Amino acid sequence: MPDFKTVFWSFLVGGTVLGGLSAHAARAADVDQDVMNRGAYLATAADCVACHTKQGGTPFAGGLKIATPMGDIISTNITPDPDHGIGKYSEHDFEQALRRGKRRDGENLYPVMPYVSYAGMTDQDIHALYVWFMHGVKPVAETPPATQLSFPSNIRLTLSGWNMLAGSEKQETGDSATYDTLRRGKYLATALEHCGTCHTPRNVMLMEKSDQYLAGSPLAGWYAPNITPSKTGGIGDWSEDDIVQYLRTGRVKGKSQAAGPMGEAVEHSTSHLTDADLHALAAFIRQVKPMEDDADHQPRDGFGKANDAPDIRSGELTRIDNLSHKSPANLFDANCAACHGQNGAGTVDQYAPSLYKNSAVGAGRPDNLIMTILMGVNRTTADGHASMPAFGSTGDVQRLDDEEVASLVNYVSKTFGNGSYNVTADQVAQVRKNNTPH
Amino acid sequence: MTKERHCPLVDLHVSSPNAMRLNRLMRMSRRDTLMTGMAGMGVLAAGTAVSAEPATGADPELERFMKVSERLTDRPSLDPRIGQALYERILQSGPERKAQLAKLADLLDGSSYDSASAFAKAAEQADPAFKDVIHDLMTGWYRGVANGKVVVYRSALMFDITKDAIYPKTYAAGGPFYWTTQPPEVDRPTGGPALSPSKFDVEPT
Amino acid sequence: MSSEQNLSADVVIVGSGVAGSSIANELARAGISVIVLEAGPRVDRQHFVDNFRNLENKPSYQGPFPSTPWAEHPPNQITPNKYLHTSGPNAEAYQQVYLRMMGGTTWHWAGCAWRYLPSDFELKTRYGQGRDWALKYDDLEPFYYQAEVMMGVCGPDPKVEDLGSPRRQPYPMEALPISYAAQQFRKLISEKTPYRVVHEPQARNTKPYDGRPTCEGHNNCMPICPIGAMYNGGYSVYHAEAAGAKFVPNAVVYKIERDSANKKVTAVHYYDPDKGSHRVTGKYFVIAAHCIETAKLLLVSADEKSPNGIANSSGHVGRNMMDHTGVQVTFISGDKALWPGRGPLETNVIDNFRDGDWRGDRGAYLVHMVDDNQVDFATQLAISKGYVGKALEEQIRYLASHTVRLFSHNEALPDPDNRLTLSTTHKDALGIPHPDVYYKLPEYTVRSCEHTRGLFKNLIGLMHGTDEQWTPGYFPQDHPSGSTIMGVDPKDSVVDGHCRTHDHENLFIASSSVFSTVGTGNITLTVAALALRVADTLKKELLHA
Repeated sequence: MPDFKTVFWSFLVGGTVLGGLSAHAARAADVDQDVMNRGAYLATAADCVACHTKQGGTPFAGGLKIATPMGDIISTNITPDPDHGIGKYSEHDFEQALRRGKRRDGENLYPVMPYVSYAGMTDQDIHALYVWFMHGVKPVAETPPATQLSFPSNIRLTLSGWNMLAGSEKQETGDSATYDTLRRGKYLATALEHCGTCHTPRNVMLMEKSDQYLAGSPLAGWYAPNITPSKTGGIGDWSEDDIVQYLRTGRVKGKSQAAGPMGEAVEHSTSHLTDADLHALAAFIRQVKPMEDDADHQPRDGFGKANDAPDIRSGELTRIDNLSHKSPANLFDANCAACHGQNGAGTVDQYAPSLYKNSAVGAGRPDNLIMTILMGVNRTTADGHASMPAFGSTGDVQRLDDEEVASLVNYVSKTFGNGSYNVTADQVAQVRKNNTPH
Repeated sequence: MTKERHCPLVDLHVSSPNAMRLNRLMRMSRRDTLMTGMAGMGVLAAGTAVSAEPATGADPELERFMKVSERLTDRPSLDPRIGQALYERILQSGPERKAQLAKLADLLDGSSYDSASAFAKAAEQADPAFKDVIHDLMTGWYRGVANGKVVVYRSALMFDITKDAIYPKTYAAGGPFYWTTQPPEVDRPTGGPALSPSKFDVEPT
Repeated sequence: MSSEQNLSADVVIVGSGVAGSSIANELARAGISVIVLEAGPRVDRQHFVDNFRNLENKPSYQGPFPSTPWAEHPPNQITPNKYLHTSGPNAEAYQQVYLRMMGGTTWHWAGCAWRYLPSDFELKTRYGQGRDWALKYDDLEPFYYQAEVMMGVCGPDPKVEDLGSPRRQPYPMEALPISYAAQQFRKLISEKTPYRVVHEPQARNTKPYDGRPTCEGHNNCMPICPIGAMYNGGYSVYHAEAAGAKFVPNAVVYKIERDSANKKVTAVHYYDPDKGSHRVTGKYFVIAAHCIETAKLLLVSADEKSPNGIANSSGHVGRNMMDHTGVQVTFISGDKALWPGRGPLETNVIDNFRDGDWRGDRGAYLVHMVDDNQVDFATQLAISKGYVGKALEEQIRYLASHTVRLFSHNEALPDPDNRLTLSTTHKDALGIPHPDVYYKLPEYTVRSCEHTRGLFKNLIGLMHGTDEQWTPGYFPQDHPSGSTIMGVDPKDSVVDGHCRTHDHENLFIASSSVFSTVGTGNITLTVAALALRVADTLKKELLHA
């Protein structure tokens, strides 16, 4: 069965994004500024930029290559350039693309585009988004390379069938800004942030299982965990403030840090939401149906304690070319302990977080720990720039091989987590292979 | 004799250090023979050698070593895992050390001393050779070094007694720019030395 | 029978340190084929971190890097030394250390990234001493900036703290906030002396930069940054490889082959660790093998056509050896606790003695208050004094918080008699002679060191210092330079202003060995800037050929 979830995210999403847009906004002097502001905010909440900008590229000019089991899908230019972007789209064309996945020429969009989620947006918000994209975004006259998939996925017509089966969000009505907390939270979670796209498992037809909303799902090597309020499988031990802090900064001391796709979602989207919206989103998430989890039976952030073992050493030196493998404890000491402490407590200010009482370590699934070691962490919010170097094949500080990564992951789990991992070098090799930039 | 031959190494230009490891395993050469002297010596025990708790009371010699150590450090207790490792390494520093340590323990048992300094003074008076033994103990517990080799680094007592101010090199845990803050003030010491001074050579870089 | 078909590139570079790897990176990114031959092995940071923690003598910068038999490097700064054999009145002052391995000696530098002053390039013209370089500061300025961007250099805003080297661009990163100890030192100097303490420019991250983390103050820049927050040549190796450059480790170059006219280099030959010989051809060749190994290679390659060695028609290869020979003192401050060793090693400098009319008489110098963790030193000292128990603990805390170390980088002058030759008595495992160096400190430097001693005595007094321990004589600062000296006249220099050898039109040298004078700052940034300028020259010649 294809791991379709990988469709939706790529770890390649670029860095700076929303800067440089305001200059262009002058052109829109004749446009209602309130509508513009609303549109800009909605575009952030819907995190359009995450997919429609390539690494180091101009915002919304597309070109990001998104790895999927069907092949690489390349995001399109959605700046208002008439020839290369969506400048010729009427508001109706725009609405059809957003809600129905229909291109202006009538072709189906690949469902990498979360139109089943955006279908829930109100008319008023679609209008604001349209106005902002047309007047607030700088046109870019470049066309990213076309997506080239092999048969049968390249037949966009086959997607029509999928679209008929896939349940779309029900369209909301009225002024979304006036909703009460839970309605607003649901609107943000479903129609805009499309949380379920990653966090809800999918069925054989690759559609979200609506009865297991936010119950966790694998994602491009990472695992978007169960974030239902289950006390055992989910985040039932998180307060509303915890969730708000996480979405605003990407980290909650003693609980979790956002890396990979979630790091990007926090950086580009949730950290820019208003306080009220973050609380609405958190309140909504805290009341969805609690779901048990196959792998997590205790809170993921509840495991482990500081390691008090002294650093008893051989006192022997190895020659500089002796690159033979070290013991797991030694690997940890030489690669991790400088920042995370040999005791695993992290730095005093948690700039480098504690490894115990840490979701990435205590999770029943090793995916996120493996990926964090291979890919590192790179997340910027108003809270600061969280940065851990990659220890995979693109890292410059230290490149670890598959056996070393497996060894480390198992050691970290045993020492600071639930000790359940038995990761092999082959598993790491597979993860690495699936996530090598190309 | 030099011999011209094709160069396999050039194919390794994109290889990782780990691929180099494998590659080296595949071909035995003179250089590997040169290396065997060092192979395996680098296995470091951080955190593993100590995973098994030393069985308490199993080794009366070690217990006496710990008692002497506690007296000479003025500490009610010391980490027995470190103690065991230190004791083993200190014994390796000379064939006479075992007997000397036993005699030092006898001296401690024979009378009551209310401080490390009092005991150390008495020991040097009893036998000048005890000075070196006590140096070994101080160097072991405080520097983490015995027989000229590192037994513990981060866990040496010198870092325990300064941990409110400074981190061992390579184990800083303050986060970026912690160093701009003011560390604690330190009063002038009042205690005097217990042993006669020794020559101190600063090790060359 | 030979492997020449296998090994050929547009540009062949000997040495993978900051000079060789950054040239390789620039050329590979421009689509030029590059092979880099590195005498030493590929290495891993984690092994050095581990070795450091297992090392008994923690201040030994070479300690964590035990060399291989086929690419020996000096084991330490002790004289006599089993690899670099020094002699002469100041033999101990030239006991330089460096590393032969992928990425080079910047694995254990302190990241000090000074630009030289404009006057450093014209010492002869301005002060009648030494020589002028065959280039000016302005020629190098764009390459200084390129090097700063490549390494990720943090430094002060010139409007706030002008370091004397004009800049067209700000530093890539903001200056590193200095430690409490350095702040106190800076305050003392500013209040009690006419001098100043400046923020040292450093190739160290004050924010995440180029995939590397922010400095966390592990205080271990030398011998090994455990987290990679400081630049080293290994980064340029990775970047160059990603751009397509080929790096061959364990390739010990021992012969430089020329055409029949002896005008162009046609190939270099190297030994693998089993002494199998390999030939590598190319259009251009760059020797970037560190000051000592570069001169050694040129001399080792002597043959009938060039009996004195390659590029040596002037006879100056191996001569004019220089360094920033220093003065060092450690003492116990009588003032409040400083606790040096929180944060990076070298962050602050007294720069008042970098330039002035007195340079006609004595050499310039920099003063570092070394921000070095003194806990181990304090412990050894207190144990040797006879303390035990609680009294020992009090001593350790007091000494560790009050020990101050000052050292200086004093300017040398090129003297042809200070000379590197091939050892006639010692050879390495491949049969290549070890380097010998004769060294007598120039009077110019001696006078500079005397001035420094006077300053240090004054500072010790201001800090109510006691127990001063002066490092005997002079000590090497590991900035060897001058062995293939730059100049306009082929009769008394080895390379021209573009680091091209006078004798061989396609042979370049990228190393501190080309320095005409040693300058007034740590050498690495200037090495990198010169190397990037070599890359620029090569790009122009190869892409427009």
